[in-house]
Amino acid sequence: MSLVRKYASYAKASWAGMLEYRAQILLWMLGSAILVVMLMVWTGVSEDNGGQVGGFSTVDFTLYYMIGLIVRNLTAVWASWELDFAIREGTLSPQLLRPINPIHNHIAANWVEKSLRLAIVVPLAVLVIALTPGAATALASSATVGRIALAALAVFGAWVIVFFADYLIGMTAFWTSQTSAFIQGWYGLRVVLSGTAAPVQLFPAALQGALHWLPFRYMLSFPLEILLGKVDSPQVIEGLLIQAAWGLFFMALCAIVWRIAIRSYSAVGA
Amino acid sequence: MPADVSVIDLAKHYRVHEKDAGLKGSLRAFFARRYRTVKAVDGVSFSLAPGERVGFLGPNGAGKTTTLKVLSGLLHPTSGEIQVLGHTPHRRESAFLRRFTLVMGQKQQLLWDLPAVETFLINKAVYEIPAEAYAQTLKELDDLLELGPLLRKQVRKLSLGERMKCELAAALLHRPQVLLLDEPTIGLDVTMQVRIRDFIAEYNARHGATVILTSHYMADVTALCERVIVIDKGHLLYDGDFRSLAERLAPYKVVKLRLPHPALGERLADFGELVSNDGLNAVLRVPRARAGETAARLLGQIEVDDVTFEDPPVEDVIRDVFAGGLEARA
Repeated sequence: MSLVRKYASYAKASWAGMLEYRAQILLWMLGSAILVVMLMVWTGVSEDNGGQVGGFSTVDFTLYYMIGLIVRNLTAVWASWELDFAIREGTLSPQLLRPINPIHNHIAANWVEKSLRLAIVVPLAVLVIALTPGAATALASSATVGRIALAALAVFGAWVIVFFADYLIGMTAFWTSQTSAFIQGWYGLRVVLSGTAAPVQLFPAALQGALHWLPFRYMLSFPLEILLGKVDSPQVIEGLLIQAAWGLFFMALCAIVWRIAIRSYSAVGA
Repeated sequence: MPADVSVIDLAKHYRVHEKDAGLKGSLRAFFARRYRTVKAVDGVSFSLAPGERVGFLGPNGAGKTTTLKVLSGLLHPTSGEIQVLGHTPHRRESAFLRRFTLVMGQKQQLLWDLPAVETFLINKAVYEIPAEAYAQTLKELDDLLELGPLLRKQVRKLSLGERMKCELAAALLHRPQVLLLDEPTIGLDVTMQVRIRDFIAEYNARHGATVILTSHYMADVTALCERVIVIDKGHLLYDGDFRSLAERLAPYKVVKLRLPHPALGERLADFGELVSNDGLNAVLRVPRARAGETAARLLGQIEVDDVTFEDPPVEDVIRDVFAGGLEARA
């Protein structure tokens, strides 16, 4: 109960802080414009191919990227930048004096930020889907209640992986001043491998096989595949299990690295 | 009564890497890092009884902040036994973190873009302060510090002094028993320094909290602390009553002479370091260890109207310590 109260107090302060920086958050959101750009690229390619690329129609691309835009904003995380800053500037020290792990503050702030992001991307996605002939009907037929529920679960799983992997990268700032390079590198991998640049189903079979076991697909593509009916029930269950395993892996690694990091932080000077 | 703070033989050594200036230096440092061990604190012991107010003095780099950070659990000691309120600080147990506070004049916990009260509410939740206790403490802090309208102003729009008042309040909402204050008055004007100082004294008196204070302003220490701990280059130079600090720490005594007639100045230099001489009044510094012998010699050889042997003023001694001019150990 008291943890809920702590989250509420962090959330309230982040909400107020976010309103101070709303322009900045809008600029950050431009990062997800890549999905809109990719949608234009792929609908162009699909039109040139007679309305179809590797089993994806123009309508499929529209639904994939517009719902992808929402998922991407639900799973957007900036904790690594903030952690990197706090470690380098020494503002982490006052946070460490409090009887609560600073990660809770990052999580609360991250969840609050989603509300603002959704307020912008949901109307945009709805509009694009409504204006694309056949898209709304296709979505209505594929998005059953069951699939929506499973996709929601997979979105949460995707957030867990994105958040804890990002936090892990942020923690490298305890040892190196090159954290921003790691953040960029990881982001690059994600753009290519998570289904942002192209739906995973369009990749060569060998790469798809590898992506089945790697975490990237489960950070964006997987919930979309569920919602749009690209995976069958056994695949959904297997995917959710792999996703959960990666989520737990990154969480556990975060907990371990945090303990080591705090020891070393306090050994070299805070 | 068991001590609130107990430090036995604390040492904190850092390994820092050295780099020569320029590209060549950078390249060399890249391939073969050279390390040097810095002994920030080296064998310091002291203990504080509940409710004590202790001033922590020493020049820049003496190890004051390092010691406070070890006491707060932010730093892992290299060696030594440290107990604060019965806890080992660097284990950072929740029960420990709830019972002390560290205020660093040059770092802040207040959220920069929001009014201070937002940080207060976070602390209320994080420290699990019951609503009645929070209201009562806030009222008390408001009375003592006159926070009033400051609480609703954005922190970044507060003056340095106003911000420090809010920082102190934020740090004390959970009624800590041990207050570690690192330069709480740095950069403040004299009036504000006095306000903060009075507040610390009042808080200590009301709640019996133990206070360790470092400051560059002697006045903070003279006003607040009967006991001082002086450290320099990581070593303890002095721990005891503020008033007898000079007696213990200064390696010399001050001899003041009134002479019946001038022109004895040159002869006085034989007895010690001549500080001033206007002809009829002269001031000498003589080594403490030889003060008695010097007195006998002086009185035997020079005709004087009056002579006194005094300890130098504390301010002078501290200034010498800060300037690194004192090597003598207590």
